[in-house]
Amino acid sequence: MTGTVTARTLVPAGEPDAVSRRHVVTALVVDRPGTLNRVSGLLRARSFNIESLTVGTTDQPGRSRMTIAIRGDDGHLRQVLAQLERVIDVLEVRDLTTVPHVELELALVELSSPTDAEGERRLRDLLATAGGEPITTDADTWRVRLAATPDRIDQVLEALRGFGLRRLVRAGAVAMTTPASPTQPANGATPT
Amino acid sequence: MTALRLPATDAATASHAVAPRIGARAVCEALVREGATTLFGYPGGTVLPIYDVLREFPLRHILVRHEQGGTHAADGWSRVTGGVGVVIATSGPGAINLVTGLATAMMDSVPLVAITGNVPRALLGKDAFQETDIVGIALPVTKYATVVMEPDEVPLAVAEAFEIARSGRPGPVLLDFPKDVLQMETSAPHPEPHELRLPGLLRPVRGDVPEADDLAALIARAERPLILSGHGVQIAGATDLLRQVAERAEIPVAHTLLGIGNIDETHRLSAGYAGMHGWMHVNKAIQQCDLLIGIGCRYDDRITGKTSTFAPKATIVHVDVDRSEIGKNVHTELGVVADAGDLLAALLRRLPPCEPRTAWLAEIGAWREVSEARSWHGSGAWREGRLSADYVIDRIGEATGHQATLVSDVGQNQMWAARYFGFRHPYRHLSSGGLGTMGYSVPAAMGAALGAPERETWAVAGDGGFQMTMQELATLVQDQIPVRIAVLNNHRLGMIRQWQEIIYDENFHSAELIGPDLVRLCEAYGIPAWRATKPEEVDEVIARARATPGPSLIDFHLDEAQNVYPMMLPGKGLSDMVEGGDR
Repeated sequence: MTGTVTARTLVPAGEPDAVSRRHVVTALVVDRPGTLNRVSGLLRARSFNIESLTVGTTDQPGRSRMTIAIRGDDGHLRQVLAQLERVIDVLEVRDLTTVPHVELELALVELSSPTDAEGERRLRDLLATAGGEPITTDADTWRVRLAATPDRIDQVLEALRGFGLRRLVRAGAVAMTTPASPTQPANGATPT
Repeated sequence: MTALRLPATDAATASHAVAPRIGARAVCEALVREGATTLFGYPGGTVLPIYDVLREFPLRHILVRHEQGGTHAADGWSRVTGGVGVVIATSGPGAINLVTGLATAMMDSVPLVAITGNVPRALLGKDAFQETDIVGIALPVTKYATVVMEPDEVPLAVAEAFEIARSGRPGPVLLDFPKDVLQMETSAPHPEPHELRLPGLLRPVRGDVPEADDLAALIARAERPLILSGHGVQIAGATDLLRQVAERAEIPVAHTLLGIGNIDETHRLSAGYAGMHGWMHVNKAIQQCDLLIGIGCRYDDRITGKTSTFAPKATIVHVDVDRSEIGKNVHTELGVVADAGDLLAALLRRLPPCEPRTAWLAEIGAWREVSEARSWHGSGAWREGRLSADYVIDRIGEATGHQATLVSDVGQNQMWAARYFGFRHPYRHLSSGGLGTMGYSVPAAMGAALGAPERETWAVAGDGGFQMTMQELATLVQDQIPVRIAVLNNHRLGMIRQWQEIIYDENFHSAELIGPDLVRLCEAYGIPAWRATKPEEVDEVIARARATPGPSLIDFHLDEAQNVYPMMLPGKGLSDMVEGGDR
């Protein structure tokens, strides 16, 4: 580790800035009290609404990785990422939107138990499309998990409303870059 | 001006534990190691451990009258010395009073270290007396803020704070010390530079700047090039290089508010002050140039106005040490992330000598004649016996040989000072450019006078801004700090009055200020003071103030309706400036 982040780049000219879309950003940060506050505070000050933000440990000791799903203009976001890079406890920032990556989200869903074998078969088939399976089941209630892309989870949740969806908790997206041509991943985590 | 560096120490001793001493002593030792000589502060319960040991160290402490004054004073000290300013405050209200000064320093890239006490660790989070989450409050207005929770962390935390404050784009850092951390003993040694843990600190690549090739090519093709130079040039200590580049390539140099002093205003290639209240000819040059080279500036709204109409004929180049500034406000064709001095040196190596750009310079010269006739030589209120601000500033400039440090406040006084003083040298003009903090001038001048005692220091304030921090008059007296204060007194919030006159259809509200009799106020403080109400009195009172060794004040009673012209109205562009009549 050189201990130094260096920056000297030509800024690409003439890029259209007005495209508003969902971005998946990852940030490698120093695991210290206040880092989350610094990052979220900066996004708030620039009027970004965070769709999801996850933080967890990494393979490197003392380093955490944030995955931030956010919607905004490309140009505005590029600006904010440059400002995020400036935060002392942020080591590296990447917008994964235009590079190959896999994205995955976890969701816990509470449903009414299926009432017959056909209903149970249809429910299990549906869960399977989003890397899902039951975690606890009893006569009244199923608690299931889903693990798929946020889009896929959205679709399956829509379908699950027909199965008596009662409660929902989502973890927010995590993401990781992949080589240019990844092999087909499991659990419906499709490369974007 | 180069940033202060960690003094070289014997590496063999640094890696060994030192004799145990309390955290407060470790703080003071670290301050001395980092080159601090003057601290601005206000004691309170949680920082008393520091005050208890302060006498043991070669650190001069200036007891300010309000913590805001302390941050501005540290800021002023830093801007004239190039070092890191230090301010100390106690927990709770003391710490919170630093916030305005920290935000001021943040916006203007001024390196400060603020040291605050907090309640002992066992009481943190329990709403103890004078407890506040100052780190949480300071986060958005500092480059870094953190709490030091272990006595053994103290030496490293202070060293890192200074390194963060002065590296790359400088800025303020706040360190919060729970009181017991200051009271407990530690044997932790002071770190060597390589022991700092700052993997995320952005540092510019130093040395040659290859992108200077592209810029040199743009300059070779340009017929009407213009440099817009900002604060970054002085932070980089690169004013000589700027002049050399301008002379080599025959490029006129405009400056921002904080870029005043980048080039001698009497230099044939100095275009002048640009922006909302800048000179018409400078703004015209921006609008007519075919290559605009921004160096160490932010292209902020006070320079650009409506960005869609800004520099419409120009290829825009932006050089800044902070990558996040590039492309933030204006569309940039060439962006270079580099220290201004490195870029200018790299450019100088590549630029061939250039034929005089006679036509382009003559064009700007012709605009200048019109512009100066309308806005200055022609204003002439002083010829009719009315005391006008431009006249006062001009006379202070003349009397001091344009050598003084001038610290302006915010509002009309700030614009008059910027336009009419006639700056010749860097690090002489101090102002709260980004945040626009009223009340900045007197406390910042206090710090500037202590930081650069070899030259005289003037504070220029309106009667509004002066009243915001005039408690520091007592500090000036106690430490006999030789600040000469010129109050441009129009008994108004002048810029508010101006906006209400021009934009709000003369609906004057809350613009009129009843102030104290400033001469009698100064008498109460023991400060020599004079009043001037006519142009013919101006030179004499300036001479009296200059003959006074300690602090002094002049209360200039101005023509109350004088506006600052020209003016770019909000939402308008640089081609669309308003010129006033004869005032």
